[in-house]
Amino acid sequence: MPGMTRRDFLKIAILAGAAPSLLAGCAGSEDKHEVNFFNWSTYIDKDTLPRFSLETGIVVNYSVFSDEEEMFAKLRSGALGYDLIVATDYMIPRLKALNLIDPYPTGTLKNTGNIDPKFRNTPYDPNNAYTVPYLWGTTGIGFNKKHISKRPASWWDLWDPKYKGKISMLDNARDCVGIALLMKGYPQTTESDAAFKAAEQLLISQKPILKQYSSSTYVDSLINGEVYLAMAWSGDVIQAARENPELDYVIPKEGSYIWVDNMCLVKGSRHRADTLRLVDYLIEGKVAAEIANFVRYGSPNAAAKPYLDKSLLDDPRVFPPSSVLKKLQFYAILPPDLAQTWIDTWSDVKAA
Amino acid sequence: MRGRAKKFLAWLFSGKSEKASHLLILPASFWLAFFLIIPIILLLVLSLAQRGPYGTVIWHPTLDNFRRVFTPLYIPIVARTLLYCGTAAVICLLLGYPTAYFLSFYAGEWRDTFLILLMIPFWTSALVSIYSWIIILGRDGLMNSVLTGTGLLRTPLDVLNTPFSVILGLVYFYLPFMILPLYSSLEKIPKQYMEASYDLGAGSFQTFLKVTLPLSLPGVFAGFILTFVPCLGDFLTAEFLGGPRTYLIGNLIENQFLMAQDWPFGAALTAVLLGAMLVGLYYYQKLEAAEIA
Repeated sequence: MPGMTRRDFLKIAILAGAAPSLLAGCAGSEDKHEVNFFNWSTYIDKDTLPRFSLETGIVVNYSVFSDEEEMFAKLRSGALGYDLIVATDYMIPRLKALNLIDPYPTGTLKNTGNIDPKFRNTPYDPNNAYTVPYLWGTTGIGFNKKHISKRPASWWDLWDPKYKGKISMLDNARDCVGIALLMKGYPQTTESDAAFKAAEQLLISQKPILKQYSSSTYVDSLINGEVYLAMAWSGDVIQAARENPELDYVIPKEGSYIWVDNMCLVKGSRHRADTLRLVDYLIEGKVAAEIANFVRYGSPNAAAKPYLDKSLLDDPRVFPPSSVLKKLQFYAILPPDLAQTWIDTWSDVKAA
Repeated sequence: MRGRAKKFLAWLFSGKSEKASHLLILPASFWLAFFLIIPIILLLVLSLAQRGPYGTVIWHPTLDNFRRVFTPLYIPIVARTLLYCGTAAVICLLLGYPTAYFLSFYAGEWRDTFLILLMIPFWTSALVSIYSWIIILGRDGLMNSVLTGTGLLRTPLDVLNTPFSVILGLVYFYLPFMILPLYSSLEKIPKQYMEASYDLGAGSFQTFLKVTLPLSLPGVFAGFILTFVPCLGDFLTAEFLGGPRTYLIGNLIENQFLMAQDWPFGAALTAVLLGAMLVGLYYYQKLEAAEIA
C-alpha cells in the first residue's frame, strides 16, 4: 500500500528526525560521557550547554519538542536514548504511573537547596523524589500592538469576530480546555458532563475565526502579522519582545493558569551520573539565572535571584503582582479518568 | 570452491529452477512479513483492544472502536479528505498530462535531464519541503513580497493555513506519482499508430483524441490511484500548511497516537482506511483487467 508505507515512513521520520540523538544514544556505551536532553523549544540560553560541555567534557545531545503529549507519546512508545526530560507539573503523575521516570537517588544533587521552598513538596511530587523544578510561567494572551488598537484584557477577545483569521490558540488540551472551563465559570476539577460539553462548544464556536492551533510557531506568526492575538506562554512572547518591541503579553482579567516545568530522569537512562551532573549544574544559582534571563520565564531557584536581570525581576508579566497572582491557579492533579475526559474533549474540538 | 560458487550462481540465475526462484524471493518475503504483514496483524489486534487509564492498552476484545469510527462526528473529516485528495489528484492530472506528453513527444535528447529534474524535489526531505512552502506562502513570504513589491496587490494574501495551501502541498508532493506512470504509458504507444492515423487523414488534435488519449488511459488511472491513495493517509501537509478547519483523516489518526493516547481507536481508524483502500484497489484492478480484455 503506497499510502501506508509513506505515512509510516513519515511517522518514523518525524519520530526520529526530532531526536537526532536517539541513534547516538542507542550506540553510545556507558563509558562515553553524554546526556540526551529532551526539552521544550526555546527553553534554554544558547551558551549554557556548550559551556557545561566545555567544563565537564560531557556532550549534551539536545533535542526539543513543542507538544508535551507528543513528548509523552514518544517516551511511552519506547523511544530509547533520552536521559533527561522537562515535563510540566500535570504530566508528572502520568509519567510516574506508567513507570517512565526514575526518582532522583537521594543525596546525589548538591544544589537542591537552591530551590525556593514554595516549589518544593508540591501536590504532583509530595516528597520531591521525581522532580527538580526548572522554570515556571503562565498562560495568557500575546499580541502585536502594531495591528490592534486596544490592549486585550479578556479571554473573550480571542473570540472577537473583529479579529477573524488573526487569532492563534495553543495546541494542547490543558490550556485550551482549561481556559474554556474557566471562561464558562466551571472549576478546574469539575467532573460534570455539562461543563465539558460547554467548553467543547465554546472552543468549536471559535474555529471559524481561528487562524491556527500552534504551540511552536505562533510567536513568529505574531511577529510577522500572520496573527494579531495568540493564546501564549508568557516567556515565549516576552523573549521575542526584546527584539520585536511591538509584541506584548497580558494575563486576562478572568485569571489563568500558572505552571511549573520540571527536570525528570528518564527510566532506563544509561548516562545517569552525567545526567545528575547536568541537573546539578542547571540549578546552580548563576546558571539558573542565566537561563531565566534568556528565556524570560520565572525561575523557581532562590539562589538565582541575585543574578536575575532587574528588567526581568521588575517585569509584572514575568513575576505578576499579588493582585494578578491571586487570580492564577496551579494545574490540579486530575485522576486518570478525568484527565482523559480533558483529552477527549480536546480531541473532539480538533476533529469538529 | 570457486567452481562451486560459480555453479551455484549459474543455477540461481538460470531462471529455470523453482527452488532458485524461492531463494530469490526470500529477502522480499521476509521484508514483507516483518514490516507489512505482522504490523498489520498487530494493528488489527490492537484495534480490538480497549484504552485504559493514562492511555494504556487493555487486552479485552471489543468492537467499540469500529463503532466509534462510524459516528457522525467523523463524517465531515472523511468528506473533506475525499474532497481535498480528489481535487489534488485532478489538479495533478491536469498538470501532469501535458508534462508527460511533452516528455514523451517533445523533450528529445533533454528527456533524461527533465526526468531527473522532476525527481529532485522528491528526494528532498518532506519536512524541508513543507517549511519551504511556509516560507514561500507566508504573509511576509516570497509570494507576497513579489505580489506587493511589483504593485500587483496592495495587501498581502493570507493563503497559509487554508484549504488552498493544503491542496497545493498535496499536489506538490504527489505530482511525480502522476507524471511517471503517464509518461511510461505514453512512451509505450507505438509511433506507427499515430502515423497510421495521420495517413488516414486525421489531424493532430483528432489523432490525440482518438488514438493517443485512449491508449494512455491506463496511465491516467494508475496516476490517479498513485496520487489519490497516498493523499488519503497524508497528515504532514495538513498539519503544517493547514489551519484549524483542514483536519484530515491522517491527522485524526496521528492525533490518536500522539495526542489522545487512544491507540486502539487509532488502530481501528487505520484498519478502516486500509480496508477502504484495498477495496478501491481491488475494483481498480478489475476495471483495468476488463479494459485490457
